Amino acid sequence: MLPRHHAKSDAYSNGYPRAKEKNTYSISPHRFQPRASPPALRRRRQLLIRLALILGIALFAFFVWPGASILPLLSFGFISSGEEFQLETVRYYDLSNVQGTARGWEREERILLCAPLRDAESHLRMFFAHLHNFTYPHHLIDLAFLVSDSKDRTLPLLSELLEDLQADEDPKMPYGEISIIEKDFGQKVNQDVESRHGFAAQASRRKLMAQARNWLLSAALRPYHSWVYWRDVDVETAPFTILEDLMRHNKDVIVPNVWRPLPDWLGGEQPYDLNSWQESETALALADTLDEDAVIVEGYAEYATWRPHLAYLRDPYGDPDMEMDIDGVGGVSILAKAKVFRSGVHFPAFSFEKHAETEGFGKMAKRMQYSVVGLPHYTIWHLYEPSVDDIRHMEEMEDERKAREKEEQEKMDRMKKIKDQFADPNSQWEKDKTDIQNEAMKEKKAKEKDQTSTSKDTEAMQAPAENTDMKSETKVEAKPETKESKAATEKE
Amino acid sequence: MGPARVLRRSSPLTIVVGVVLCITIFVFLLSPSTADTAASKERSAKAASNPLSPPTSPFRKQSEKANGKRTPPPVVHYKMNNVTSTADPVGNRETVLILTPLARFYQDYWDNLLKLTFPHELITLAFIIPKNREGNSATAALQEQITKTQKLGPEKNRFASIIIERQDFDPPLSSQSEAERHKMENQKARRAAMSKARNSLLFTTLGPSTSWVLWLDSDIVETPPTLIQDLASHNKEIIVPNCFQRFIDTKTKKWDERAYDFNSWQDSEEALKLGAEMGPDDILLEGYAGMATYRTLMAYMYKEGADIRQTVPLDGVGGTALLVKAEVHRDGAMFPPFSFYHLIETEGFAKMAKRLGWRATGLPNYKVYHYNE
Repeated sequence: MLPRHHAKSDAYSNGYPRAKEKNTYSISPHRFQPRASPPALRRRRQLLIRLALILGIALFAFFVWPGASILPLLSFGFISSGEEFQLETVRYYDLSNVQGTARGWEREERILLCAPLRDAESHLRMFFAHLHNFTYPHHLIDLAFLVSDSKDRTLPLLSELLEDLQADEDPKMPYGEISIIEKDFGQKVNQDVESRHGFAAQASRRKLMAQARNWLLSAALRPYHSWVYWRDVDVETAPFTILEDLMRHNKDVIVPNVWRPLPDWLGGEQPYDLNSWQESETALALADTLDEDAVIVEGYAEYATWRPHLAYLRDPYGDPDMEMDIDGVGGVSILAKAKVFRSGVHFPAFSFEKHAETEGFGKMAKRMQYSVVGLPHYTIWHLYEPSVDDIRHMEEMEDERKAREKEEQEKMDRMKKIKDQFADPNSQWEKDKTDIQNEAMKEKKAKEKDQTSTSKDTEAMQAPAENTDMKSETKVEAKPETKESKAATEKE
Repeated sequence: MGPARVLRRSSPLTIVVGVVLCITIFVFLLSPSTADTAASKERSAKAASNPLSPPTSPFRKQSEKANGKRTPPPVVHYKMNNVTSTADPVGNRETVLILTPLARFYQDYWDNLLKLTFPHELITLAFIIPKNREGNSATAALQEQITKTQKLGPEKNRFASIIIERQDFDPPLSSQSEAERHKMENQKARRAAMSKARNSLLFTTLGPSTSWVLWLDSDIVETPPTLIQDLASHNKEIIVPNCFQRFIDTKTKKWDERAYDFNSWQDSEEALKLGAEMGPDDILLEGYAGMATYRTLMAYMYKEGADIRQTVPLDGVGGTALLVKAEVHRDGAMFPPFSFYHLIETEGFAKMAKRLGWRATGLPNYKVYHYNE
């Protein structure tokens, strides 16, 4: 309101401030004259107050009204009045920007990390330890998991670990888009180590695995991905820089060598992934003789392919950057450019050139003129899960060890019994000897020295007992040595 | 001047009017938006929280982050056991992904899309466009139409989401004219590139929630508006309508129509024999005089006035219009850019699907129309 019509007594109507002296004489020609009578003024004021009250109540009602939120008021209703203002429905992608280069982390190239899971609860924590350690910028990696036909707690544990990962305090820890895909295929084949690696089950098992991989990839691959990394959750040891290490080679498809550690009695280590190989004439000739749906699998005596395997070419001191052209690839750890998958290369769930799954993938990539490479001296380590044979063997060894220990124990007990039952002739003999000596001493020396000879006697009694203890100990120690040498000869 | 002043000062009328106005504005602001229908609710319910989400759903634009921090994307579960593809896609709210490799933009194609009666909030469109001059102009024309539909058009016409991709390799031919395109020696390279484009489009857009994939070429300018429902109602894994072309007969000067797509066929002994004699990288082509395959072509099975729901089993399919259950593609059936059993692209796709245990079906009397150059 303008101050013009204020009726306050100390206000000045002409707007000029008067001098501060109170007693200044003034005629004041612009004297204020109220236009309305005082009662009318009062009425108007009352009305104003009432209206303000009503407005206040109305506003209060709106604010507190159940369901009404303050937000639309504050945002003036423009942004939130319809959600379509916020929804983006059109996306534009230029695929030539996501070709994949040797130094992807500098160009912010996104990687899709795919991990198919089935009853993998026991390996998940190990896998997440690897996720924590990757040096490739985490926000550029999108994770996609396919959980299928699992009977254990894989799914709840996975979501729990992922939630923790995304909520990590460290801003460098959380990953990009995370998808957990739940799809059951109806598992027809048992998944324990023995049946998993049995020859007869291989073809159908691998076709099912291929199907799972394809579902995962087709659901998770996006137009913004430059790379796709396939990783099994049961990898125990791998360099933290594996993504950069593989990427640096700038190949369309690249795999490291996969070995696994073994207990000492089995040789300490062993090639694990036999699916990475170079094609051989023998195998090609063999393929021609097989029927359309047959699948050649590596590592079984049934198909002698004489192929050079990546795994067997490992030299622990070899150059880790050495490359080898391969035709079939193993699925433990595959880094591939996304364009390979975009152009249609997938994991054949049928017999493609007599191969399925990852080996078929390698074959198909080759067929489309992509480079498929393995690194024979760059090794990652698969978890060692003892096979049924190994477990049996270990049980046998354990039994043997127990039997031997029992035998030891019995032997010792027997010795003890003998000692207890029969008085030790040694001590008796010692005693006799000292007695004789004493006698001799007595004869020689004076009779006052009788007391010292008795104390000597007790010392002599203790010594032989200690002696026997030492003997039994060395015996126990000697046994394991023979055990080891026996195992060593068995190995050879 | 006097009375006006009195009115302004003393009359409570102006104040009352002001208050009423204020209240109406508040009521207007607080009332739910008028467009809050079931469809738009479904749209916003499906919207993802970040742009990394599957492109088959829209996403909420992210407001500026407080203190510049990146909020990590959430963990999202996709229950693919619940993704169905049934004979009643509208009733079961199944989503359709319409895939179009776009070389040229035809207004008729877009108009025909808008006429489809399948609920648009269940449709995602995806295009792949080569990166050349022709592609650029096609992209511009397409984007103009998209803006018209998605931003300015009525809500029921808007599609759930639209994806535009630019191809990462050059088309093997500089010219896209019909005569050049159909030369036999150019066919293999052309169709290999086409396969790659189709696969790129398919595998980057399929996502975890798509039920059906409709392949629709950019030069299909006329289909029945109920195309999706009609094809899906057969509940077949792969189903192809018959593709025809309208033209003006030079003799009678009248509109007539002729069969256009010869890639939908049933195999013949002769074709298999021909294939067996070929080198591993050679392909069999249909519709060329130099290669008599004696296959039974669906294009010639059309009978005027016959039952449009009649189905025939097929061994090769054409891609001009093709409805596929998403699970077929998810299993790995793609468009081979190489000679696969001497077949390539869509025909190779039918063969690969067959190897995976899926069968192709044709509708000889159900017609869609190809643009006539």
